[in-house]
Parts: sequence; structure tokens; C-alpha cells
Amino acid sequence: MFSGKQTKPTFKSYLPPLQTDLKKSPQLPIKKLEAKLLPGEIVVNEANFVRKCIGAESCQDDLWGKLVCTNFKVSFIAHNSLPRQRFQCTHRLLGEHDIPLACVEQVVTVNDVKGKQKILGSNQKLKFNPTELILYCKDFRIIRFRFDEAGPESAKKVCLAIAHYSHPADPQLLFGFEYVGKRYHGSTGERVNGVDPGGGLQTPLFDCSSDWDREIKRTGASEWRVCTINQGYFISPSLPEFFVVPVSLADQDLKQYACCFYSQRIPLWCWNHSSGSALVRMSNISDPQQQRKVEQRISSAITKSHPLRSDVFKSDLDKNLPNIQDIQAALLKLRQICVIDSFEESEEKWLSSLESSRWMEYVRTFLRHAVEVVYMLESRHVSVILLEKEDRDLSCVISCLVQLMCDPHCRSLHSFQGLIQKEWVMAGHRFLDRCNHLKRNDKEESPVFLLFLDCVWQLWNQYPAAFEFTEVYLTVLGDSMWVPVFSTFLFNCPRQRAEHSRDFASSKSIHLGQDQALCFPPVWDWSQQFSLKDQTLFNNPLYVGKIATCVQNGTVKTFTHRRSKKNYSSTLRGLPSALRNGSLGPNDTLARRNSLMLRLRSDLSQVREQQETPSERFVRDFFSRPVDLQGLLLPQLLPSHLSVWKLYFLRWVPEAQIPQGGPITAFHKLSVLTDEIEMLQNQLRQYQGAAGTPNNLHAEHSKMYFKATSTPHQSPAPPEYLSSSFPFSPVGNLCRPGILGTPLSKLLNGAKIWLSTETLANETI
Amino acid sequence: MEESGSVDSVESLCSSTTTRSDRSSGPRVSDTELRSKAKAVEKVYKDPSKDELPLLPEELVQDSAKDVTYICPFIGPVRGSLTVTNYRLFFRCTDREPVFGLDLPLGGLSRVEKIGAASSRGDVSYGVVCKDMRNLRFVHKEPEDSLKKSVFEVLMKFAFPVSNNMSLFAFEYKQVFPENGWKVYDPLAEYKRQGLPNESWRISKVNDHYELCDSYPATLFVPVTITDEELRRVSSFRAKGRIPVLSWIHPESQAAVVRASQTMVGQNGRRCKEDEKLLQAIMDANAQSHKLFIFDARPSVNAAANKMKGGGFESEDAYQNAELVFLDIHNIHVMRESLRKLKDVVYPNIEESHWLSNLESTHWLEHIKLILAGALRIADKVESGKTSVVVHCSDGWDRTPQLTSLALIMLDSHYRTIRGFQILLEKEWLSFGHRFQQRVGHGDKNHTDADRSPIFLQFIDCVWQMTRQFPAAFEFNEYFLITILDHLYSCLFGTFLCNSEQQRLKEEVPKRTVSLWSFVNSQLEEFVNPLYVHYPSHVLFPTVGIRHLQLWVSYYIRWNPRMRPQEPVHQRYKELLAKRAELQKRVEELQREAANRMASSSSERAGSPTRSITPVQTFV
Repeated sequence: MFSGKQTKPTFKSYLPPLQTDLKKSPQLPIKKLEAKLLPGEIVVNEANFVRKCIGAESCQDDLWGKLVCTNFKVSFIAHNSLPRQRFQCTHRLLGEHDIPLACVEQVVTVNDVKGKQKILGSNQKLKFNPTELILYCKDFRIIRFRFDEAGPESAKKVCLAIAHYSHPADPQLLFGFEYVGKRYHGSTGERVNGVDPGGGLQTPLFDCSSDWDREIKRTGASEWRVCTINQGYFISPSLPEFFVVPVSLADQDLKQYACCFYSQRIPLWCWNHSSGSALVRMSNISDPQQQRKVEQRISSAITKSHPLRSDVFKSDLDKNLPNIQDIQAALLKLRQICVIDSFEESEEKWLSSLESSRWMEYVRTFLRHAVEVVYMLESRHVSVILLEKEDRDLSCVISCLVQLMCDPHCRSLHSFQGLIQKEWVMAGHRFLDRCNHLKRNDKEESPVFLLFLDCVWQLWNQYPAAFEFTEVYLTVLGDSMWVPVFSTFLFNCPRQRAEHSRDFASSKSIHLGQDQALCFPPVWDWSQQFSLKDQTLFNNPLYVGKIATCVQNGTVKTFTHRRSKKNYSSTLRGLPSALRNGSLGPNDTLARRNSLMLRLRSDLSQVREQQETPSERFVRDFFSRPVDLQGLLLPQLLPSHLSVWKLYFLRWVPEAQIPQGGPITAFHKLSVLTDEIEMLQNQLRQYQGAAGTPNNLHAEHSKMYFKATSTPHQSPAPPEYLSSSFPFSPVGNLCRPGILGTPLSKLLNGAKIWLSTETLANETI
Repeated sequence: MEESGSVDSVESLCSSTTTRSDRSSGPRVSDTELRSKAKAVEKVYKDPSKDELPLLPEELVQDSAKDVTYICPFIGPVRGSLTVTNYRLFFRCTDREPVFGLDLPLGGLSRVEKIGAASSRGDVSYGVVCKDMRNLRFVHKEPEDSLKKSVFEVLMKFAFPVSNNMSLFAFEYKQVFPENGWKVYDPLAEYKRQGLPNESWRISKVNDHYELCDSYPATLFVPVTITDEELRRVSSFRAKGRIPVLSWIHPESQAAVVRASQTMVGQNGRRCKEDEKLLQAIMDANAQSHKLFIFDARPSVNAAANKMKGGGFESEDAYQNAELVFLDIHNIHVMRESLRKLKDVVYPNIEESHWLSNLESTHWLEHIKLILAGALRIADKVESGKTSVVVHCSDGWDRTPQLTSLALIMLDSHYRTIRGFQILLEKEWLSFGHRFQQRVGHGDKNHTDADRSPIFLQFIDCVWQMTRQFPAAFEFNEYFLITILDHLYSCLFGTFLCNSEQQRLKEEVPKRTVSLWSFVNSQLEEFVNPLYVHYPSHVLFPTVGIRHLQLWVSYYIRWNPRMRPQEPVHQRYKELLAKRAELQKRVEELQREAANRMASSSSERAGSPTRSITPVQTFV
């Protein structure tokens, strides 16, 4: 995942010329090429003398090594490594060239001599000897291996093994079970993998009633209570053991109503707005005869829990939002244009293909719907019920987005994780099915969670200082779905987790000790994957946190004042209104009024006669005020204001990389400044406390990935290895056929006439 | 920021600013701003009867009318009063709360016309098409007295002073700024910065009085081996006499960027010995390479078609060691049409469901891409190939400055500073005769003029694209670029007037008008990108794929009320800078205190003075 940077044009082939390969190969010290195995991981099959393709057209940059299939990953152990540099993030579970089997979307074997190609599934036969293996990954990578020098039989075997093991027949064959199970072996009873799930984590998992209690208290939802009737999952198979209901509903009533709901899902409380309005999610009522009665009971109970006894608004998500198949289809199209189509071809029609993928449209639809719900809570002061047939997909997205927009608490890293825990993991989003870890039912596969992350990214992109985390964090979180070790993404619901871990434990006769079930680490235990240093990439240097101020006030005001002294106000006044309309800074009084006015009514001329809807007015009001990053945040929803999440979708595309550029260069600068501030604060603290003797604890405690330099008075230039793909690297991660080979031509790609008069041969001086 | 508190309130420093952070305080801020601004405005206040209107020095109200209705595409009809000065148009509606206003310089108008006949009530509709992507519509009653002129007739007169034999407002405007922007660019100083003249390149005085080429600057740099006489002969072989001259030289490799116009090859394949010698000399001036690249900005078809009109391009037979590359960039008419389509797509409203495909159909970003791609190839040849390049299009005043100036921004970090960028514009665009008057049509009512084209806008757009890709590499911010574009049209400053250096001198533009750079450089902090990192010898290679190009929404869509432009990162960065300055101050105070204490308590041990961590320049 994190790997070396793009090879320089000067990169030399470390391979001997092709003809001599076969003779020389056996002398390579192959014995050293051993896969690094995790506890519980076993090698299933392997092939030597395999080449991993780095450049698409020429093989001179290719890596030489051993391809190993284990029960966890496809591992490539390179004989000669890519040139390394100072920057090196290492994944603790995966090597530089490793792909978890769960991340493999499609296994394609090719015999280019015979012109044959086959997509391999589980337990299949292969009638030709593959010369090439292409792995299409769920995280948009495309990785190619060549078997020109490998033994044909072993090549075939390793391909079949990869295909077979990436289609596990049973959830318990997912690597997480072996991995976690291992920690219970070992005579001392010590935990092999060193993690105590839940313990030491600051993220609330919402798997106990105390987490819910705290959330009730925090949001001031005094008329709501934790309900324990589903302990042991006796009422609903897909609900968590603890959830929150109106105080006016007794356990007995709930038990009675449960059977009317789809999968006995009693409506779940998500969150309370400060006005007392509640956000509740509910599945469809399956019994039509009971429908009105039950609905009424639930509604009146929610009304009773509202301090103003306000009404309840039902928001039907199935009617208003794309369904999971739509979302899946959109992602497939997006992937097609991002990484599969050749760069040049997709370049011409990029915008219209992007539009026809509908991905951006769906992102916008979800955000807009969330804004509607926010309006009901914030402005109309009514409680909202999110209604979805099963209440396990779309409502996860909407309820999270609503909370992110309304509740600044959710924008800190740990609370954001808690939010996902609450609205996705505990509420029973079918991660196992939606990720299609078992590759059994493609119809159930859908990137709902990725769509959610993209929505969050849009908010983040519009208000970067409002969130404690970075886009690297969001990207890595998305990638973690494909590392099948974490409790977060392995199961369809808490009950399934409990059952499978019990079964697995008993089948392997594992003594669980005090634990009731195997304890999988949640993905929130980031130390499973990354070092503390690398985790600092998650920290947003811009984050205003709980201490900073609204953009328009405080310190910034100081600037405005200082500035106004030297302002040629008369001239500024005389400037084209363009300028002032163009930027609604605090000193743009006229423009400000102007634009306020402009927002008075709906902005579509064709519907000018139409009255502005109250929710439009609400949005317009919001945008006419200065933003309070600690308050309500609404996204801009004009299609021109939503962008493609380039770090996630384009990070592997070599042609789309901006060397030494991209948002990361600004991030670098900001990190250094934030680090300096931290340093100064530490110094102050030391003066305050120990009266002098500054000791340098700073380096270890810094929250920033990029540190201030020790040489003052010098703004450090961004390191050369930064690129728009940082901390990821396209090298060897996207080998579709037909991309231009030389690094220079990649760099200069652009004009479609590029090669017509160019003599590439002369260029690679 | 608040006065610094005592040491024990480290955290309170941060929270002290929170107190005023409630949302309602937003308007209050602008109130104070309003007041401070109003004071300054009073000084230039001219006409007491028309209070509220903040006028510039020498700006005079020409006419005004009440009961004019502005048909706003966003909020519908607004009734108010319209005032026309010799510089701008004001529209004010005070009945509404808050007050509604329009305030735009007449220079930004491209067309004003009556639409249809008067209605039964005597209302006449006027349409105003603006150069800055807006269309305005007003409805007004015709004056009953047919001898009296309507305010719109006055507007038409002052909007197009050139067509009415009047002078542009820039010649009236007499604001004095502490800095004189006309001194920003001194050709000799700029070439000296590049290490010129040197053993291979000399100054030629051949165009001192613009007799060799009236659209070129007086100062030209040419290879030492070429005589002025030979240059004269070359000039008859290049369109409009625009001979190949140096634009920029690489400080290390001596690879040069040379600009010119097309060769007058014609259908018979004319040759010019001196031109061939000149190009050979350009190649020889660079010892690193035995090759010369000629970049013809046009599509090859267009270049070939030019032969019919006597023009053409260098044949590789005649120019040994030269390789000709066509860059496929279309002509001014295609670009004008593309912008027209773009305007349809972005103004007034955006069609939400087909936004992307509509945008694609304008081809605007595709043109941007081709220009950037061309500049990138030039920059790459010079930087990586260490080869000298000659760039031309047909006349060498539209696509050529786009390409050379973009390539220069990539190659030379000096041009990424605020002053360096001004120099670049003065040099590559103004002194080398980009025909601003013709392309923009200052004060000219002939809006259908086929010579108008958004070439310069396109260039600024390309620069903006680069600032997006390299957010820390440019000293200026987006506001700087928008300011330049707004004053490209406003005719408030003399900078973008006329078609050439010669014309500007003849009209005494530097004497009689104020330079835009006077205004900009007198309040630089407005235009500074706080994230800027100066790294001297750093070449930028932008990625020119359409995936990384985006529509410049804060320029093209800024009239949409749903657009809230913001540079949150910059804002936040400034906050952080202030915080650091504050902390630094406190740390220093404490250090001083500690040092004093130690000194007074008779130093038994020369305690290690805490190393002061005082990093970095402050941008405020």
C-alpha cells in the first residue's frame, strides 16, 4: 500500500539480459525470499522466478522474485527492491507488494502465446499454462505478474491457489479467524497479537450500555433510555444487544412491536439535536395490518420524548435515494474510467463519462438528502425518522452525515470512529455481504461505505479545518475494509460476529478464558496496521478543535484591521464590484448585502415565480452567514462545487500524479507551522512547570507527520518525494496494458498529438 | 489578537478568541469595516446630492434615473435607481432590506441595447452584456419628453468612449499611490537578472524607434553573431516583422526560449538565408545541444493553410538540426466561441443534471489543457533536454505569449512571485505586443469585432490551474489573478490599454494613467498566498490531464449567489500564524525574564540559554 516513489528515469534494470535469465536464475539466493507470515498465516502455494510488472510496456523496471499465496494474502517477495528513499510508511500486516486476498476482485490468467485469457473463480481448472497473472483489486489497483521464467506447472498452481483462496467458502475461512484465534493458543495464555480489543481505545464501540448512556447524556436526550431486551440477540437477529428507545415505551411493548418490523428491528435512536429533536432510524413494518397502529405508537412515543412534544417527520430513504445496486453500478463505471480504460482514451471524454457513471450525482443526492433532514431537525425542531426497508444501508449514510453536519463533536477523530461504530457496525450494516468477502453473491455487493466516505470527503474538502482527520485517514479507512482482520468490516451484524467467533472457538477448541467470544481487533486500533509515526498522517494540522475560533473573528479580525490601515479604500470602493462580489470577505460590505439579497429567492430563473421552499431558505440563510466551524456545516451542493476524490480514486494512476505537487504540499507547510506552535506551547509549559530545563520530549509527542526543522528562520521546502498520490505510490500498482512506458512520456502526457512528431528515442537521455 | 496574558494561561490564549465566535457576530465585523471604510470614502466624495455613492477621484455622475427595474436572474425584478458616472454603473435598491446594489465599471460592458419595442405602459427593456460572464437586464420607462435622453443613452455613450471620441476613464483617474507601478518592469534589469548580455547574446538597438517592428519592444536580445543588417532582412521574412528574439535563458544550460512569428514561406516555399542563419546561431549559442526545437502553436492543418496567405512554417530541409512540433492550439475565433458556450453553461444558472457533459461540450478545459500541454513540452525541452526552443504561432502575439509565459512560469520561480509575475506580464504580453486593445475592445462598441478573443483570460486560467496543482509554489493568491482580470476590462488603470509598447508610449500611457501595479503593490498583503514556499531552482511540471483541470468556479461562477468563495485553508493558516507569533512573543519574554533572573542572581553557572526557536518569516 504505502510504497516507494516513482522510479527515476535513471532507474537501471537490475536484471541480466533476458536470454541469460534461465541460466543465471538458479544462482540467485532464492532461499532468502521467504514470505513474512503473520500468526496463523500459512503458505498455500508459491512460484519462483516471477516478474512483477512495474512499467507496462517495457520490462526493464520489472521486479524479480517469488510469488506466494497464503491464506491471507498474495505476497510478492522481490529479489531486488524498488529504490527506497527517506519516506517510508510500512504497513504492519502487509509488505510493500502484498495484496490481501480479500482485496482481490478478479483473478485473470493470460497466455499471450496462445492468445488465451481466463477469469478464475474458486475450484476451477485451467487448461493452459499462464504466462501472466493480472489481479484486479477492490481498491482500484491492477497488478500484473509474468511467468516467462517460472516453471509452467508452479505458475499454474499458484494462480489456481490465489483464485481458490480469494473465494473463501465460509466466513470462518477469512483470515481474521486464524489470526485472532492464534492469540488464544500459546501456553502462557498471553495474547499473541498484543491487542486488547476495546481496552485502551478512546473510541466508543457502543457494544455496552455505558457507551450509549454517555451518548444520551452528551446529547441531552433525557427522555430516552438504553434498552436491554435484545441481550443474547433473542429479539432481533440484526440489532445490537443494547440500543436506545423512548422512555415511554416499556420493554413489554417493544417485544410486542418487534415482530411487526422487518427482521424484528425495533426503531433505533441515533442522536438528539440540541433542540431536543431526535434522529431515529426504522425499518419497514412488515405486517400491513399492524402498520398504522404500530407506526402511531412509535411516533407518539417519539413525540413524548421531545421537550416540545413536536411532531415526527418521516423521511423515506428508499424513495429518494439510489439503491445499493445503483451505487455498485456507479462505482464499477467509475473504476472503468479511472483505472481500466487507457488514460488517453478516457481523457477525451472524462467529464461526460464521469457524469454517466453517476457516482458524483449519487454523492450529491445523499448530501442533499442529509441537508433536508438537518433542516427538519435544526429549523423545524421536529424529530425525524429515517425509513428504509431493512434500515441497514442508506440510513447508515444519512444518519452519519446528519450528525457530522450538526454535531461538531462527531468531527473529532475518535468521535467519528464512534459514529461509524454506532451507525454502521452496531446498527448492522452488512459489511460481509456489501464487501462481498465470500464472493458468493454479487448482487449484494455495494460500496455503500465508500460512498459515505466520499460524502465525508466532500464535507472535509469544503471545510477542511472542521475535521480532526485528514483525507489520508479516510482513504486508509476505506482500504481497511479489504484487510479481513477487523471486527469492524468482517460481519453483517454483532450477532453474526458473536456466533461465528463462538463456533470457531469451539471447533478449534480454543479456550476463551473470560472472553465470551473471539475478540477481533476493531479497525480503530490503528497500531495493528501502522506505526505511531505513520498514524500522525491522520492528524489534520488545520483542525480548529475545541479551542480555536470562528474564521471571521478573533485573530483573523486582527488581520483585517491591520490591513485596513493600508487599504486604499477609496480605490477598493472604486474597484469593479466584481472583486467584491467575487470574494465575500469581511470587508465586503456592499457585496455582502448584495449577495444576501440575491439569495432571497430560489435561484432558478425558470422557477422564479415559485415560492422558495423553507428548506431552500434555510440553506440560503446558512450561506449568508459566516461559517462557524464549531457549529452547523452544510455542504455546497452545486455540481460545480463537488470534486472527484482524487486521492482515493486516482492515486494509482501514474499519469494523473502531480510530482512534487498536489494538496499535500500545502498540508506539509501547514503541518510544519502547527508543529512549531506545538513546540512553542511545550516550551511555555516547561517554563511554567519545571522552570527551565527544556527537555526534548517534543519529537515523540508531536502530532504532526511533518516536523518543524531545527533550523529556524527557514521555511522548509516540501520534500521531493511528495506527490499528489502521497502516501501511496502508483509504481507497480497500476499496470493496465497500453500505458506509455517511459517515465518521461508519462510525465509529459497531455496533448493527444504527443507522439506524432516526437522522437522518444532521443528523449531518454 | 488580544494583549498577551500571563504565562499561566497558555490554553487561554487559544480560547480567548473563542468568545466572539458565535455566528451572530459576523455582521458586526462587517459593520466596523463599513464604518472604517465609509470614513475613507468621504475624502473622495464628490457629489453631495447623491450621497452613498462612493466615487473615485475625477469620477463624475453623468446621469441617474429612478424607477429602474433590474431583472435579476436569481431573485427576480428589483426596483431601484440607476446612476451612470464616467467610470461605472450603479444600481441601488434601498427599499429592500438589506440594500441591493450593483456596481460595475463601464469598461466591463461589451454591449448595451434596447430589446424590443416599448410596451403599452411605455416600458423599454435594455440588455447589458458584460465581458465578465454576466448579462444584466433592466426595464425602464422611456422619458415622455422625446428630447430628453434616457439614462441608457447616457450609459451607451460612456460605456463606449472610444466609439464616441472620448477618452477612457484611465486617463482621468488621478489616484496617487506610494508605489509607481510603471517602474516595475525595466527590461535591462530583467535581462541582467538572467545574466544577459553574455558572450552569446547581445542587446540590439535595431528596434529602438520601432522601425524594424512596431509591435515589438525597443530592447531586443539576439545572438552576437547576427548583425543588425541581417535582422532587418529576417524581419521581412517573418510575419509583421516579428523576428526571433530571446525571451528567457536557462541559467545553467544556456538553453534559450526564443519567440517569433511565422515565416513567410508562402506557397512557393520561399527561404531566407539570414533567418536560417539566425536559428542556427540560436542553436549554437547553447553548447549543450546540437538541436533546436521549433514549436508551432497551431494545428498543422492551420499552419499549412497559412501558406496560401503567404505564411507558413519552417521546413526541416531549410533548417537543418531543427525539429518542428505542432502544438494543436486553436485560433482566437475558436477560443471566443468556446468562452461564449461556457458563459451559456455557467450563467445565470447551472443545469445540475448535465453539468459535466455541458462543461465538456464547451471544450474550454480542453483548450486549457492543450495550452498547458504545449507549455509543458517547451519547459521540458529546455529543462530536461537542455535544448533551445523557438516558439511561434501566426503573428506571435496570442498563442505565443501564452506558451512562452507559461513555460517561463514553470522554469523560473521568479515569475511565481507577485512582482516577478508582473514583470512577466509586462514583458511577454505587453512589451511584445499582445493586442489588448483589439482583443478586449476597450471602450469600443463594436462587440461583434472578430478580433476580440479571451486569450489573456485563458492564460490566467492556466496559471490558476497551476496554482491549484502547486498550492505552495506561487506567492500570489487567487484574488490577485481575479483582480488582474477585472482590471483587464475596467479601464481604470493604464496597464492593459493599447496594442503595443510603441502605442502606449505614443499615447503617453505611463505618464497619463496609473498602473495596475501601483494599486497592487501598495497593498501587497491582500494578494499574498500564505502557503507560499520559495524554493529557488525548482521547476514545476504540472499534470495537464483533464482529470486535474477544473473549472475556475470562483471566477466563472462568482455571480451565482449560491457560490460562496472561500479560501478556508488560507484563512486558517493566517490564524495559525498569528497564534505562532503570539506564542513566540511569550516564549521570548520568558526567556528574557529567565535570563535576567539568572544574571541578577549572580551567575554561578553559565546556564545554557535556551535556544530560541524563532522560526520562519511571518507573512503578515
